[in-house]
Amino acid sequence: MFDILGSTNRSCDGVSRRNFLRVGGLAVGGLTLPNLLRSEAVAKEAGTSAKRKAVILVWQAGGPSHLDMYDLKPTAPAEYRGEFKPIPTNVSGIEISEHLPLQAAMFDKFSVVRSAFHTNAGHGMGAQWMLTGYQPTIEVNDNIYPSCGSIVAALRGPNEPGMPAYCNVPNRLDLGKAAYLGASYNPFSPDSDPNSQGFQVRNMKLPGNLTLNRLERRQQLLGQVDTIRRDIDTKGDIAGLDKFYHDAFEMVTNEKALRAFDIHKEDPKLREKYGRNDLGQSCLLARRLVESGVTYITVQAGGGWDTHANNFAEQKNRLLPQFDRAVAALVDDLFVRGLQEEVLVMAMGEFGRTPRINPQAGRDHWPGAMSVLFAGGGLKMGQAIGTTDSKAEYPTSKPYTPGCVLSTMYHTLGIDHQHVFYDNGRRPMPVLSEGQPITELVG
Amino acid sequence: MPLSYSQTCVLLATSLAMAFAGEVHAANVRVEPAQVAFRDAFARRQLLVNADGHDATRQARYISRKPEVASVDAGGYIIPRANGTTDVEITLNGQVTVVPVSVTGFESIRSVDFVTEVEPLLSRFGCNSGGCHGKASGQNGFKLSLFGFDTDFDYHTLVSEGRGRRVMVSAPEKSLLLLKGSGAVPHGGGRRLDPNSEPYRLILSWIQSGAPTSAANVPQVVKLKMIPSERVMTTNEQQQLAVLAEYSDGSHRDVTREAQYSTNLDVIAVVSDDGLITANEPTGEAAIMTRYMGQVAVCRVLRPQGSALASLNDFAPRNFIDQLAADKWKKLGLKPSTACDDPTFLRRVTLDLCGRLPTVDESRAFLADMGSDKRDRAIEQLLASPDYPAYFALKWGSILRNSSLAGADRAAYAFHNWLKDMVARNRPYDEFVRGIVAASGEWPDAPAINWFWQSRDDQLHQVTADTAQVFLGLRLQCAKCHHHPYERFTQDDYYGLAGFYTRLGRKSFGEPPPYYTSPNVTLSERHPITGKQIEPKYLDGGLAKLSAEEDPRHALVDWMAKPENPFFSKALVNRLWGHFYGRGLVHQVDDLRETNPPSNPELLDALAKEFRDHKFDMKHMIRLMVQSQTYQLSSEPTDDNRSDVQNFARFYGRRLPAEVAHDAVEQATGFKTNFGNMSANSRAIDLPHERFGSYFLDTFDRPKRVSGCECERSTSATLSQVLLLSNSDEVEQKLQNGNARIAKMFEAKRSTPQMIEELYLAAFSRYPTPAEIFNSANYIGVDTEPRKAVEDLLWSLLNSREFLFTH
Repeated sequence: MFDILGSTNRSCDGVSRRNFLRVGGLAVGGLTLPNLLRSEAVAKEAGTSAKRKAVILVWQAGGPSHLDMYDLKPTAPAEYRGEFKPIPTNVSGIEISEHLPLQAAMFDKFSVVRSAFHTNAGHGMGAQWMLTGYQPTIEVNDNIYPSCGSIVAALRGPNEPGMPAYCNVPNRLDLGKAAYLGASYNPFSPDSDPNSQGFQVRNMKLPGNLTLNRLERRQQLLGQVDTIRRDIDTKGDIAGLDKFYHDAFEMVTNEKALRAFDIHKEDPKLREKYGRNDLGQSCLLARRLVESGVTYITVQAGGGWDTHANNFAEQKNRLLPQFDRAVAALVDDLFVRGLQEEVLVMAMGEFGRTPRINPQAGRDHWPGAMSVLFAGGGLKMGQAIGTTDSKAEYPTSKPYTPGCVLSTMYHTLGIDHQHVFYDNGRRPMPVLSEGQPITELVG
Repeated sequence: MPLSYSQTCVLLATSLAMAFAGEVHAANVRVEPAQVAFRDAFARRQLLVNADGHDATRQARYISRKPEVASVDAGGYIIPRANGTTDVEITLNGQVTVVPVSVTGFESIRSVDFVTEVEPLLSRFGCNSGGCHGKASGQNGFKLSLFGFDTDFDYHTLVSEGRGRRVMVSAPEKSLLLLKGSGAVPHGGGRRLDPNSEPYRLILSWIQSGAPTSAANVPQVVKLKMIPSERVMTTNEQQQLAVLAEYSDGSHRDVTREAQYSTNLDVIAVVSDDGLITANEPTGEAAIMTRYMGQVAVCRVLRPQGSALASLNDFAPRNFIDQLAADKWKKLGLKPSTACDDPTFLRRVTLDLCGRLPTVDESRAFLADMGSDKRDRAIEQLLASPDYPAYFALKWGSILRNSSLAGADRAAYAFHNWLKDMVARNRPYDEFVRGIVAASGEWPDAPAINWFWQSRDDQLHQVTADTAQVFLGLRLQCAKCHHHPYERFTQDDYYGLAGFYTRLGRKSFGEPPPYYTSPNVTLSERHPITGKQIEPKYLDGGLAKLSAEEDPRHALVDWMAKPENPFFSKALVNRLWGHFYGRGLVHQVDDLRETNPPSNPELLDALAKEFRDHKFDMKHMIRLMVQSQTYQLSSEPTDDNRSDVQNFARFYGRRLPAEVAHDAVEQATGFKTNFGNMSANSRAIDLPHERFGSYFLDTFDRPKRVSGCECERSTSATLSQVLLLSNSDEVEQKLQNGNARIAKMFEAKRSTPQMIEELYLAAFSRYPTPAEIFNSANYIGVDTEPRKAVEDLLWSLLNSREFLFTH
């Protein structure tokens, strides 16, 4: 478990590795290494409350079309502007797409950054850049750098013990993994559609024809059988497993954990409000999970955002109505429950889409400008931040990089984005290599 | 010329003997060197004072009788001030030792040299580090080469750019380099340079003399020497280091205060900026590294568990591994754990050689065997079985990126079978490596070309980096873009190795397409610094002059397999050691470098020599390792070795790898899953590539085969693994299935004690103790559903650490 720290080098943050190791040795007694890292990294972020905070990222894999959602250009030539019309929102001066009416009606609870950008138009590389803050040099469909969710898991852990720190719903994200932080920080995922009738979390419900009574008996028997000494390894894996057995047993038996994943307990009317599809129900599940103590959740916003053909039909008939409904319902729900300061909601994909419409009435990959949506998290809402040129090709003011977007998120969690990890080659790797929190949002 | 300090070196060589001459006052104080001769104003000397075998440099008091000739500070560091002679008096516990100091050539005109004197300061003060001006984009418009690898670039940047304000020869003190560095004008990096310090004066002096560029033939640092190079220390003990640089003209210079220091394990020992080591309480070993002008040196610090031992009475060495391991334990005051018992041995060695548990019958037979050589016989049986090549093909296939991606489905099977065949026939390791590195032709004939094909997107660099890491144990990737920060390797070295692959060609048809060696260079990439074609050059050696008919890849393997090659044998024996002992003699197993020393260098050397002497016979090395008493120690620590995590005074337990864990669950439950397109007998360890869908294997982190690093295989614990083992339909079905072990035991109407015995043998490879039989029988006996109670017992065994760990 020490390998994530790269214990052989002095850390650039000046933290003595000795402290890590000494306290790491106490992990058996309950004080875990992540706890220590957490308090250390969080303490460095002065002025931000380190109290309970959580993030829900709605990940629009494929690349959402900024021109058709938050950055419409009604005066651009026809081959750019597309079919959709802007409508006013409840914030004076901000207009968004006519196909996002629910969000438009409550835009005082959102802020959109219209001037995010990067320079890579490949799905894998762009996604890795947006999700890790690091620009990869080769296209691989696996994490070279740790995903932001894994970093949050390593530095903050879960908000409540017995819950996972980092979840992907409904499925594991290809680029959502922990890379050199170690597999313990890979996401936990139900790997099952919460919109389905028989939705349940994998291996968290008692297997068929096993009773709780028998599980408890098994636990007792295990205590008798599993007598091997706990000091036979050198990395603390045995202690880690003991902890996971404790967590797992709690998750399986603890009503609170089971309830969190049991979306069937939700009021059918609320489930309707989120939309009865995988995106809507995943957003609803995400809200249940943050309430129960999960710190970071990535919601996969369905497929189909990669609209190389029939962009407008796809957008207006399926993508935008589902997305509008799910995200509006989620943010509204968080406000109703008074969680708007604690929970940050973000929505983005790996890049925007080409302003110029292609012959198949589609839009292709375009990282030169993209929109990123924020809500809650104690950030300043009701804003449209940054501008792009007349064809939405490039930012004309306040250009923000992936590092800026992520450091804003880390800021809300009280995570120092200069905290240093070590990769497998013992190279010091800060949480982010570039980017500062977006001032318009953090104030 | 700054390097006129050669005399000190001569003095040093004799300093030990000379020091005794100075011991007129006390027999227990030694000062090194016994005398100092400075030949110019820039020479320096760190004194080392030793009392009763312990460093007392910081406890001694120093006085120069003529400080106007040479001054000395509280740390025992002498600086010349004028021509003449003086004595430095060293007082310790009332005893005085005298070191005569002479200074000549003080006034001789010479300018400070940029490359050998200024550039090291830019490194020392972190100016050119990756976080500051050394990063690719520079910092606030000022960019230096990372760690000073490109001195021409840095000179140009400092002297010619920045509108001539960085270095102002007309008004040296107004140079931005000094103003910013000293914080006299605001500097994002803060105050780095004290205006009253030596380094400041050195840079100022360089600018005052016109900021000249270095002469073309300026001597380069070729070697660093650290004094001392090894030290046994007690808690809170300190040791001052002295660092001597040797230059290409044979001269020497004390660079103690110019060099940089770091520790690889500050839990054991830390080091200050001026080379003072302080040992901490935990025991073990640390490597203190010093770096200066691209060269590195290491001082090994030992923090023993107790006092050194004269003998280890209860430990009977089987072979040289045991002798050398024991030598180290004695030095560190470690006593090994006892030998492991028979069932633990059989389970351990079967898992490590064959990637599976012993069968119930194998365990029964082995435990009933009364022969004194039964462990050796078991080893031979396992090594001769088909499971040994199967398991090692999996191991090699993972780090050789054998994947079915990019149309390589059939090629991946072929490469997997090729690996298995090479291991089964125990072909010499150099032949094995040649079959990969020099693979040419179509995949059915040369399936190892899949190694190249799986790196197709970054062909030259991925193959170069993998060659270094997999076969030489060197992580050279850093040196692709800059001088390796922890090694002596330069970009030139990296591109020299890449040079062996610049004539690699591939056809434009087939997946993978045929690979071949062209008589001409096929890759257009140029050397990033020289802009010239990339030429093959041996690491630590010269250019490879190869004709168009010669295959550079064969030349590379020829060089690897030479007896004098310093990397090839060590890399393999260390990789094998890591496999069997849970941690490399060098950790990580593929990160061999001077600054990451082995925990037992004598043992690593002896293993490498044995490997060369036995014609690269892998099976021979494996046999030696698993036969050793060291391998056969118990994993249970004792009070005499509890702190040991790198000297193998006990066996280090570890979690079963993904594929092995999968197969172990199926073997214990007697329920077999079929993998698509594989025969019904195929287990997870038999899978040729990573693209066989399996929630179990993914959850236990089988490698994705996208890296040549063993570190891609994680054996750390996760919540999902625990949920899968303890609470899944998948495992429950294996327990309950009508054709599985428990159902068959009930069909055969076994008695409860018989069933308990079989389950313990199946899962733990040992007989249950009487207490375990009693407890289990009790549990089963009171249950109204005995079948379910027996399932509970097997569930408990599978969820025990004793099951999931090799121990």
